[in-house]
Amino acid sequence: MIRYFIRSTGAHLRQAPSLFLLTVCGVALGVASVLAIQIINRNAIGAFSAGIQAISGEADLSVVGRATAFDESLFPRVLGMEGVAAAWPLYQVDVALAERESFFLQIYGVDLFSSFRTPWSTTPEDLSEVVSEPGWMAVSPALAREMGWAEGDSIQVTSGTRRVDLVIGALVDFQKMSPLASRKMAVMDIAQAQGLLGTAGLIHQIDVRLREGSDREQLKGVLQQRLGPSVQVVTPEQREKQAADLMGAFRLNLTALSLISLFVGLFLVYTSTQASLLRRRTEFGLLRSTGATSNQVLGLILGEVVLLGAVGVLLGLPLGYGVARGNVEMVSSTLTNLYLLQEIDSLEFPFSLYVLAAGVGVGGAIAGALFPALDMSRRDTRALLSVTTLHEKVSSAALPLFVAGWLLLGLAGSWFWLWGQAWKPSGFVLAVAILLALPLLTPFLILKVCARIRVRGFNLAYALKTLSAQLQNTSFASSALAIAVSMLVGITLMIGSFRETVQLWVETTIQADIYITTPSWRAEPEAAMDQELVRQMGAHPGVASFEALRRIFVSTGDKRISLAGMEMRLAAAGQSRFPLVEGDRLNLLQQLRDQGAVLIAEPLARKSGLEVGDKLPLYGPRGMEEFPIAGIYYDYSSEVGSAAMDLATMQEHFGPAPINSLSLYLEADRDPEQVIDELRARFPGIPLRMRSNQHLREEIFEIFDQTFSVVRILQVMSLLIAVCGIMLTLLVMARERISELALYRALGAGRLQIFRVFVGKGLGMTLIGLTLGTVGGTVLAAILIYIINRAYFGWTIQAHWPGWPVAQQYATILAGALLASLYPAFRASRTPATELSRDDI
Amino acid sequence: MIFKGMLALFLVLQMAMAGPEWKVAEPDFDWSFPRDHWAHSGYRTEWWYFTGQLTSREDPGRRFGYQFTLFRIGLQPEPSRLDSRWATHSLIMGHAAISDLEGRRHLFSEVLYREVPLLGGFGAPGDPLIAWSLPPAGGEEHWELLWNGEAFDFHMSDPERGMALDLLTRPAKPLVFQGPDGYSRKGKPSSAASQYYSFTRLQTDGTLTVDGKRFQVEGRSWMDKEFGSNQLAENQVGWDWFSLQLDGGQEIMLYHLRDRGGASDFARGTWISKTGEARYLEAGDWSVEVTANWTSPATGAVYPARWKVSLEDVEYEIVPLLAGQENRSRLVLDLNYWEGAVSVLNSEGEEIGQGYVELTGYGANNRPPV
Repeated sequence: MIRYFIRSTGAHLRQAPSLFLLTVCGVALGVASVLAIQIINRNAIGAFSAGIQAISGEADLSVVGRATAFDESLFPRVLGMEGVAAAWPLYQVDVALAERESFFLQIYGVDLFSSFRTPWSTTPEDLSEVVSEPGWMAVSPALAREMGWAEGDSIQVTSGTRRVDLVIGALVDFQKMSPLASRKMAVMDIAQAQGLLGTAGLIHQIDVRLREGSDREQLKGVLQQRLGPSVQVVTPEQREKQAADLMGAFRLNLTALSLISLFVGLFLVYTSTQASLLRRRTEFGLLRSTGATSNQVLGLILGEVVLLGAVGVLLGLPLGYGVARGNVEMVSSTLTNLYLLQEIDSLEFPFSLYVLAAGVGVGGAIAGALFPALDMSRRDTRALLSVTTLHEKVSSAALPLFVAGWLLLGLAGSWFWLWGQAWKPSGFVLAVAILLALPLLTPFLILKVCARIRVRGFNLAYALKTLSAQLQNTSFASSALAIAVSMLVGITLMIGSFRETVQLWVETTIQADIYITTPSWRAEPEAAMDQELVRQMGAHPGVASFEALRRIFVSTGDKRISLAGMEMRLAAAGQSRFPLVEGDRLNLLQQLRDQGAVLIAEPLARKSGLEVGDKLPLYGPRGMEEFPIAGIYYDYSSEVGSAAMDLATMQEHFGPAPINSLSLYLEADRDPEQVIDELRARFPGIPLRMRSNQHLREEIFEIFDQTFSVVRILQVMSLLIAVCGIMLTLLVMARERISELALYRALGAGRLQIFRVFVGKGLGMTLIGLTLGTVGGTVLAAILIYIINRAYFGWTIQAHWPGWPVAQQYATILAGALLASLYPAFRASRTPATELSRDDI
Repeated sequence: MIFKGMLALFLVLQMAMAGPEWKVAEPDFDWSFPRDHWAHSGYRTEWWYFTGQLTSREDPGRRFGYQFTLFRIGLQPEPSRLDSRWATHSLIMGHAAISDLEGRRHLFSEVLYREVPLLGGFGAPGDPLIAWSLPPAGGEEHWELLWNGEAFDFHMSDPERGMALDLLTRPAKPLVFQGPDGYSRKGKPSSAASQYYSFTRLQTDGTLTVDGKRFQVEGRSWMDKEFGSNQLAENQVGWDWFSLQLDGGQEIMLYHLRDRGGASDFARGTWISKTGEARYLEAGDWSVEVTANWTSPATGAVYPARWKVSLEDVEYEIVPLLAGQENRSRLVLDLNYWEGAVSVLNSEGEEIGQGYVELTGYGANNRPPV
């Protein structure tokens, strides 16, 4: 049987290479999209863990602030605790390179003289230099090479409005110890990091190594109790999990989208297996009649499918890696934008991902082929050797399938309505139900539509009418396309609505004329602006008023949110700055000013189940304090959630600190760009990022578009698979219907006529797929906007139909389908009348 | 005793040439006591070094050797101007060891911190506190050295190793300069020198804890105080140092630095009479012969383990009271040295004194890189 398998597979491949290639392409694309997303997801977490690994090394526990930083005087308390074998403090600050403002260095300030045991214990030869050489830092050789730095070179960085000279003191290969560690990592003495770039008195982390044999959980509890609520004692695993949870929604959504691509790919495998089996039915009949068991036939079929899957995996691996590689930068920026997490710097491709790819490809191919294969192997010999019983199966099943489709939708809808709403991932259940229902509904709809077509010749109408006659093939091709289109339309509608909503939000909230911050602010939101400078800019001629913003990161429960402090007494900081979802508009400012109330962003309210009148618990230097919630505002700047309070309240509860950004309102006749020029000229050499209102809006949308770029790639991949499906189906038709085509030829049909009929069939299937997909996509968009987005991201998105982008996509699909139809149509048109065989008459 | 201080210098490599900014030892240093018992921050290194042998009051058969040392290691001569409480210009390092001569055990504990208010530091003249530091991780009681008006009190503890020292000293003999006017040469170049004095006989009382068990103890200690800005010459690999207290009331301090071939490169010493007068010894005034060796099972280093010292026609035999008295640092890579209690015998083999010996630069990687 094995020898037969090899020979028959070879023969089969030689007979239908294009069929095989298209199927393999479908599998490869499916594998690639799942793989690309998994690589990106895993490396996003990996980048975070690698940061922990490279810096915290062999730490058993870490003490981290509930706010961003905490009082360094806790350090001796940690060190003195029984069971602690070593402890070392860490100060972390991100700075921007003066010459390349968008390039950030992650500076870790460490105490190299403490019992410091990092995995990169390469100590510089002269430790005294670390302290005595101003700005001494160690960077990775990779970064030094990239930037053209050598030991002893001096570079200039900015931290807030400070401009500081740093010296490349040593080259330390951090990546050698922790391969995913960012190449942008730099290490310097803690005193230098605090004194030159940051704030005295605060640290960000204390890493703790425990004495051998100590009970980590017990010590963690004791340490937490001893240090009080301003810090959190966590294990390295907990820290990784926190980051993973933070990115959870993002990762889950990407995974779901990549699975849709795979799902579309499965349809392709189904179609091609079905086609190949139909063509080879006689072969199987003969095999069975000569004594092969049904299991042997099943094995033969599945063996071929596994081979097909394996080839798909081989192609999908590099493709997936390429897609991940090509998009890593965009995803990385998204993660930094949305979650303020470490950038993904390098990609790792662990063995488990190869296994996953193989599983997805081969498993997917088997799943796609299993049903037709089982069907074929179980038929008795007689049925296999006669033709007529095969084709009508789908037609007769069309109505039951249609009913099943509606039943599925009904069940899913009822389940959601009755029980599902409280369950976070319920939206995905609905989405899956839609995607499963679409192929069930398709055959019946094709039958009904085609039944209404009147045929008056061998023309386009004939092409469409006969789609129903070949339902076995056409319904699958249309379904696959419908699913891909659903995804495309659904996501396009969601993104379009989201963009429109953000547009409205930006118009309401971005009101000031000039926004000023510092270059390092993007990476280090607590980067300080010099107070005197702020005062001078506020008093600049032409500036009517200004608004100072201080942003800090604080913990509420187990979440870390961004907390903005602004002077709420200013009219400008009123309603327009915080468009309210809910809250008492009239008394809002008074509550914020006099009662120490907070405003919370919609995502935070939704995710934490908070309402106006509730209290928001926040951890500050004095431990946990509660703030009354005066209102909930629309906010699309962070998925994690944010809150705002009066600057005075912030100073009272979180201590005084400099502000991080500034917005200027100009006198009516002043031109923002001109004032920016004046400010630049007045404060030369001070690192400032000044953007006019218009400029900032543009920047917001750049970030927005970047956030969804990976989603677009997935859309394209699904579409490619679906277009492959159209081509495949037409090719199958051209092959399977050889005798029918020959009959047409014998009856006098010209080659051009057959060509046109075939292209018509292709377009017909595409139109059906588009129509179904549009309906499915609209429902999917509603699920994405109203259910999934609210559950995972917590934003209110106003529905909006972005006509032009959708129309463009339709045109692209039609063009793609047309192109895909050309080759099969050409092949069909070449069918000679002599192919007419006795069996098919 | 400067050699002990040199141990600390491995941390400040590449400082071979004392820059103009560091003060260097001078033959005419203007000594003033008690002021000079406190730290001298203009010099690169400084240390307070106590060694001694103690006996349990409850069980006079129970004898212990101990070492307690605090080092100040200068990183830069001037205080840092950075706005940070971690900003420092020196480190504090502490080494403590107890040799339980009956239990045949040797315990070693150490600390190393930057000199900052959070972690450790040095007091100013007038303040009883001379130096302090946090204990090793996992402990709470500070390591401290205080001036008690006559001599020194000190305290260290290391709960993880179950060891502690809490000792009070008073001078049985006056302070003595090592080298004329406290100017002690360390090598052929005249710049290789330190300011150096000792209390060669300190009556010592207090408590000592070994393996968590506390003993009331009494006995004799030797204290060295040294500061300077110099280091080992390139051809020197280590040193042997002897501090001997004779039962007759005299003391002998001897040292020699060894070159790569193991030969003595530079040697000096001091003979202190019963009444405290010092006589300074040159290389030719004394000699030492190693009569036995001991191999450390932990580091593989082969140390001398018995000596014959000849000084002005008198022969002394020096015998370690315990072979394994090797200190192995966990905080500083490759810092291993032998520092142990010894007995002084006369040519008839009778015990005529006690002392401490320090041996550095033995073993493959143990050369202090200074």
